[in-house]
Amino acid sequence: MQDTITSVINPADEKGTYLDSSALDALQKYYQSGSLRVKAATAISSGADGIISETVAKSLLYGEITLPGGNMYPTRRYASCLRDLSYFLRYATYAMLAADASILDERVLNGLKETYTTLGVPIDRVIESINAMKEVVTQRVGTEAGQEMGVYLDRIVSGLQ
Amino acid sequence: MSLIAQVIAQSDEADRFLSSTELTKLQDFFNKGQLRITVAQKLAANEQKIVDEGSKNFWSKCPKTPSNSGKPEKTALCQRDQGWYIRLVSYCVLAGNDKPLEDIGLDGMRDMYVSLGVPLANLRIAMGSLKDVAAGMMTGEEMALAAPYFDRLIRSF
Repeated sequence: MQDTITSVINPADEKGTYLDSSALDALQKYYQSGSLRVKAATAISSGADGIISETVAKSLLYGEITLPGGNMYPTRRYASCLRDLSYFLRYATYAMLAADASILDERVLNGLKETYTTLGVPIDRVIESINAMKEVVTQRVGTEAGQEMGVYLDRIVSGLQ
Repeated sequence: MSLIAQVIAQSDEADRFLSSTELTKLQDFFNKGQLRITVAQKLAANEQKIVDEGSKNFWSKCPKTPSNSGKPEKTALCQRDQGWYIRLVSYCVLAGNDKPLEDIGLDGMRDMYVSLGVPLANLRIAMGSLKDVAAGMMTGEEMALAAPYFDRLIRSF
């Protein structure tokens, strides 16, 4: 995966130079945002199960999708949905820590839309649940960190569209 | 790959969020951000001086070596490489791990110098001299961020 730091080091190395002032400025901003990122990741990882439950309650639980004939019925498929939502949350958290979305492309989005289409998973409902997850996460980590998580959850949404 | 990417890859491998130990490690890394930038800037600004003074110290300990053989083009090439290693140490300070040094400057390094006929034992002394000169230009706190990578470099020869 790429991350913010290597994405400035690698081009400098290709030219055989030290990091120039704009690259150092970018790193300084990233370092300064580190505390916010680590705090948010701490809150998200300790509250992950609760975040997933709330996300489902907000977006999927009370709809037809959980009834016979729906894509979250029977329990096996309900559990698959929980698992996928927890992947989204975990990989968005990784990307937020790295301040780089490439891990989402490599580990989550690669082939995901096709897989969902094959399995008959309604993509609009997945997107709805990811948007609900954004709200739930923001309530727990605050607006600033919530926006940062939103960048990467939005990336998953746009990868599914 | 930086410390951040390294810790994320480990967690991904184990299918879990980062552990509290790993998160603390990242927090410690970020806390020293300003100092990391200062160290990288000092290494960049003083590269030439570190190489020049380092060579003098090196030759006094190890006079019979390609860079001191009276052939200017050989000296220039050896000193250029030493400058490159200082640059890689600066990348490591910013990345928080020794991956930049390993990936760019250590993987294959022995084969290269053996093929060039440069004695590895001499290079080890040369790299030690660079570290000593760099240490003299930095505060203890600054050098604490760079020393592990100079040490990694020295150990590799």
